[in-house]
Amino acid sequence: MTDDDLIRALQTAVPRWPDDRPATDLWPRMLRRLDQAPPPFGWLEAALVAAILVVFAVFPKIVPVLLWHL
Amino acid sequence: MNRHPYLRAYMAGVLLPSWMLLVVLAVIVSGIPPESVDRAIIFPMAVVPNLWGVWNVLYIAMAPRRLSLGVFGAILPLMLVPAGLALARVIDLRVYTSGHALAILPVGMAVYYLAWKYVVAFFNRVAGLGDAYQRRP
Repeated sequence: MTDDDLIRALQTAVPRWPDDRPATDLWPRMLRRLDQAPPPFGWLEAALVAAILVVFAVFPKIVPVLLWHL
Repeated sequence: MNRHPYLRAYMAGVLLPSWMLLVVLAVIVSGIPPESVDRAIIFPMAVVPNLWGVWNVLYIAMAPRRLSLGVFGAILPLMLVPAGLALARVIDLRVYTSGHALAILPVGMAVYYLAWKYVVAFFNRVAGLGDAYQRRP
């Protein structure tokens, strides 16, 4: 079997990949998604961050245990 | 791009714990006895990322929904922490006790709330799941 025979055999055995490329450029859409505003960072989130930092400072031994769950 | 939303949701959910695995590995390798490392790594390497992915798939599958993504993510430690405790007992990992589990549960829920509300929500938006599948911010 020559190389050409092998190529032909492979081309007949493996179905052609469907050419279903998107009709438009998707990158601008991706940029718009990246630029979407994140959820607001309110008082509840600030209080949570402060509480977490206080707990970590007072009980540093729980940090590795918490990391075990992340 | 509405094909395979569950696959995209799974990948978006898995991403953050997979990144955190590097930090977790460093802490585990430096913090526990060497003979326990292989057992200790099972949970953060195999269980946690997969559960995050499945949890995100569940959130997407439940649309339309009433819970925000942050609150939905904060529920996950209620299952993850007992599961971690049970696994630690099964594999005889003595560095993790039920006292530890109780102590980290509220902190874990707070951390998860923030992580899911901001990080996983961002990944979902980038994966094209934010607008169509997320009713609340």
